[in-house]
Amino acid sequence: MSLTPSLKPLALAGFLSLATVIAGCSDSAYQSSFVYSQGTLSLMREAQDGTKETPGVKKLLDDRFGDPQHLKAWGKLPVDFGGTLTSVEEVSESEPGNKIIKLTVEEGKSLPMKAGSVKFVTGACSGESVQVSKWNAETGEATLAIAPSKEIAAGDACAVDGGTVLSSGRMLYMRHCSHCHGTSGDGNGPTARYLNPKPRDYRHGVFKFTSTNDMSKISRDDLSRIVKYGIPGTYMPSFLLMKDDEHHAIIEYVRFLTLRGEYERKLVAELSSDFSEVAYDSRLKAGEKKPEIQSELQEYLAEDLKESASTLGDELAEIWSAADTEEAAIVPSMPRVTDTPESRRRGRELYLSKTLNCADCHGIDGAGNGPQTIAFEKNPQKANELYNEPGLHDIWDNLNQPRNLQLGMYRGGRRPIDLFSRIHAGIKGSRMPSFKNTPHEDIWHIVNYVLSIPFESDPGATAIAPSAAAESVAAPALVTAPTPK
Amino acid sequence: MKKFWALFFFFWPTVAIISCVIAPSRGWWFPSPPMSRTGVQIDGLFYLILIIVTITFVATQYVLAYALWKGATKESGSKALFSHGSHKLEIIWTIVPSFILVFISLSQLDVLAEIRVISKFPEKATKVAEVTARQFEWRIRYPKPGTELTTVENPGDLYYVNELHVPTGKPVIINLRTQDVQHAFFSPQLRVKQDAVPGLVIPIWFDVREVGNYDLVCAELCGWGHYKMKARIVAQSQSSVDKYLKQLEADQNADGTKSEAAASGDE
Repeated sequence: MSLTPSLKPLALAGFLSLATVIAGCSDSAYQSSFVYSQGTLSLMREAQDGTKETPGVKKLLDDRFGDPQHLKAWGKLPVDFGGTLTSVEEVSESEPGNKIIKLTVEEGKSLPMKAGSVKFVTGACSGESVQVSKWNAETGEATLAIAPSKEIAAGDACAVDGGTVLSSGRMLYMRHCSHCHGTSGDGNGPTARYLNPKPRDYRHGVFKFTSTNDMSKISRDDLSRIVKYGIPGTYMPSFLLMKDDEHHAIIEYVRFLTLRGEYERKLVAELSSDFSEVAYDSRLKAGEKKPEIQSELQEYLAEDLKESASTLGDELAEIWSAADTEEAAIVPSMPRVTDTPESRRRGRELYLSKTLNCADCHGIDGAGNGPQTIAFEKNPQKANELYNEPGLHDIWDNLNQPRNLQLGMYRGGRRPIDLFSRIHAGIKGSRMPSFKNTPHEDIWHIVNYVLSIPFESDPGATAIAPSAAAESVAAPALVTAPTPK
Repeated sequence: MKKFWALFFFFWPTVAIISCVIAPSRGWWFPSPPMSRTGVQIDGLFYLILIIVTITFVATQYVLAYALWKGATKESGSKALFSHGSHKLEIIWTIVPSFILVFISLSQLDVLAEIRVISKFPEKATKVAEVTARQFEWRIRYPKPGTELTTVENPGDLYYVNELHVPTGKPVIINLRTQDVQHAFFSPQLRVKQDAVPGLVIPIWFDVREVGNYDLVCAELCGWGHYKMKARIVAQSQSSVDKYLKQLEADQNADGTKSEAAASGDE
């Protein structure tokens, strides 16, 4: 058998590829985890980890949100985790060991048509999940495939098919979104480094393009528009062909990640002024003793933080639920002003006016080259320091120059109402401010002007007489020079 | 054992004959029947090549198997014949394939011209939309209803993404371009495939025979998100397309006030 030696490497390669395939199929190959924010990691170690009795930031977070393999549904949050919350009305047995539970839902809600499993939320079996072998959607009677380990009592709360939306959202998110937006929604997936603009880091709880008021969060409808139609001018593509339930699952999962990140930020904000590593060092320098600070932290964790851990959840639930209400939506008080040359001209006057001062950033002819784009901005992260490069920055610390309006590329949508919302509420997280106090009629004039810019033969010159422009142009803001090092 | 191998080489060309005879009627070769006129012609070219290749493959394989069989049934101890090649044979197997190749390239010229040469485009063909590929989606621009499509944007143009509506039963022209790298406009059912090249506006024409949804995918590996460029071509009657564009226009002009929403039948 002279062939044997030459076959050896082949067999080895075959074995290796088989081994890779098998390893690839095991769960361990896809173990992923949520990362903690820089804020959390800048805290004192004891504040991050807590002690046996008092949880630190990490544990508070993990208890409420879990990790990607074991997601947790914190009922308080305005996220549709999937499933129906029910309570046990009565327990019966058709034959020994064959448990039937009768489930009811709160008034106004209805029982699901299908039931694959029930998960007990309260009672002796809390945390246990049991398969349902037979389900009667009318009476709410569920025959359990196996009897749970402990007794079920009437009044126990249980979720039918709990978490199905969240878990399918996670699967879709990992497939379509995570390579840019990251497993934790930190905008730092493996492909993110190649992109400009950077993918959104959800953890601030801020999204740029919304149809809600300047102080409101993004609504589900806005998220849906973004997922469906993408964001032209950025790397966010359209996922139009996804099914409705897939859109829904992804949006709920993005909300879940956003709330996790925002909750983490808020916890850190409670602690960072006194118990960050930096604060700790400066307190030591100021003459405070290590044990004093330690015990102060213990006390803070045990009382203040424990309380805010709950109230912060309530706060988040309130503001995020409010985003989907009618009060949050921007509704112009009047229909769009007819798009006439006069309206555009008025829009341009407003665009150049001192009060609105659009040209300061977007430039006199809308090319996105106003004086602010060459000014050096203060870096809010570092006291008394300027950014290294000139131009405007967003809250994610990325250079975020004003839009060139001549291109006709509208990231937040090109409908008049989209442009109206951009002006009315501003672009959240960016330096585009809200002009909510501007009369709606004036906003419509500006919208008409802005929509006409890409089609002007000589932008900035034709729409308004030079003398009028010169009169109303604001003096360019002072350009701050970089401080020599 | 020798005979086994001879029979083994008899077996495969036989399988090839059977599969080539059965496949067309079973629809094994294509994702669907050709849904456009040029698609029928392209399939015809495919079958022409298939027939030539099948005949060549089967013939050479049978000759091989026959030679093996002859060798296997030879008495042991008989001497092998030594040959140092044959000029005649070499000339034959050079000339015959080159004739076949010239035949194939000439026979597809008409179809190629019909698909690619602008002066050969059907006269009735209307420009319906501009499709701009970008990483990783298809941006669609329709001309403002009642106007002609131009290569530059005009006020009132209608925009959408990843869904292209075209009328059935008439030739339509799509202006294809790309914002970034090379992509390829590929609709398997319509048998349309054209690269989008940066800096060029490439017109493609096709006619869809039946109402329905057809796939539009990218057929040029364009980056890590290549697989995301999945879109839909919706072929419908001209009146449905007009209705769709009217709705699109209403949506695009939405100003967020109640009356507008009610008027357009939206929400």
